[in-house]
Amino acid sequence: MNKIVCLLFFIAFGGINAQTKMSAQEAEILKNKVKARADETQSISSDFTQYKHLDFLSNDIESKGKLAFKSPNTVKWEYVKPFAYSVLFKGETLYINNEGDKSNVDIGSNKLFKELNTLIASSIKGDMFTTEHFAITYFKKGKDNEVHFAPKDPKLSEFIKAFHITFNSMGDVMEVKMIEPSNDYTQIVFSNRELNKAIPDAVFAH
Amino acid sequence: MRYLLTSICVLLFASCASYPDIIGLVEEENLKQQVYNPYFSNTTKDYVYKADLKFYKRKFSGIIIVKKIGSKEHRLVFTTEMGNKIFDFSFYENDFKVNYVLQDMNKKIILNMLQTDFSALLKEYNVSIKDYTKKNLEVKETKMANKAYFYFYENKELVKIVRENKGKEKVVYHFSEIKNNIAQGILIEHKNIKLNIKLKGI
Repeated sequence: MNKIVCLLFFIAFGGINAQTKMSAQEAEILKNKVKARADETQSISSDFTQYKHLDFLSNDIESKGKLAFKSPNTVKWEYVKPFAYSVLFKGETLYINNEGDKSNVDIGSNKLFKELNTLIASSIKGDMFTTEHFAITYFKKGKDNEVHFAPKDPKLSEFIKAFHITFNSMGDVMEVKMIEPSNDYTQIVFSNRELNKAIPDAVFAH
Repeated sequence: MRYLLTSICVLLFASCASYPDIIGLVEEENLKQQVYNPYFSNTTKDYVYKADLKFYKRKFSGIIIVKKIGSKEHRLVFTTEMGNKIFDFSFYENDFKVNYVLQDMNKKIILNMLQTDFSALLKEYNVSIKDYTKKNLEVKETKMANKAYFYFYENKELVKIVRENKGKEKVVYHFSEIKNNIAQGILIEHKNIKLNIKLKGI
């Protein structure tokens, strides 16, 4: 019995240790650091691993790919494994390449796609600190920081209850987790992230 | 003229003939055998497919995930490649539940069609009401929700399911690249509307 109480206590305490709320001052420092980092970001190239978690599945569905970003909002999001699929936001057009089958969508007139593009561009840089769009809470997680962004727009909150973004001590985004209203989520973990390294134009060609 | 008359007769005959006659099936004694679809039968397996839908000229793609839960439920979820859920359904023995559907798709006509298409795909057991053969094919006729279905087995392996009405194929399910009770390739082909759903196991 004692062991169980100890174990429960340990878990509860461990939980608090793993993630503590930031003070207003600490939150301000992080916010400024991320914003400064985002401002100096001209390009990002990175690998990523995506985990799709559905509660009823035995395992998360894993896929891998590459991200390329060029300021202000050209983004290529490319899955390499286990299928070849990419979306490229460039100018007023969304280009899709589905295993060699190419198509595009004019987003100039589509408000939702425009918002989506802005959202993707800002979430890769982590710069989503707009309180009119999100309810924001700040946490410390060991050496890293985790910020929760809950969308205020009912159109967006129909799909996503919250974005959890993990930043390293430099203010770089390491992980983005998008949580659905059902609590199923998509987690994206970045690796080999390179900032402001020239990206060949061919990467953004369709 | 004679040729025309013959053609008309053939057409008339064909339009009256039953589906098994049209495709040349030979009726055998009906033993009320079990009609079995093994492709979504393992509760320990997550079935994950890359899905490509073609509706007239429009194309959609994403991921279809199927899980058998206990003995009575199949869960089927369609997401985009990036993980956003489009719909999430539960199929039971004689019931269907929408757990989630994107608002834009929440239309009765769409939901009914998806329900009919996928419940036939996921249905594991049924009983044959008529049995047929044709060369190395064994064909079993069965009924689901008052619709006639023909299950085609080649060397005991389920290769095709056909939903039939008045002698015509309405929907054809093709199974390919079959190994260990998993069909890596599935094509759901609608004959009366231009809708195809192609699934590739990943």
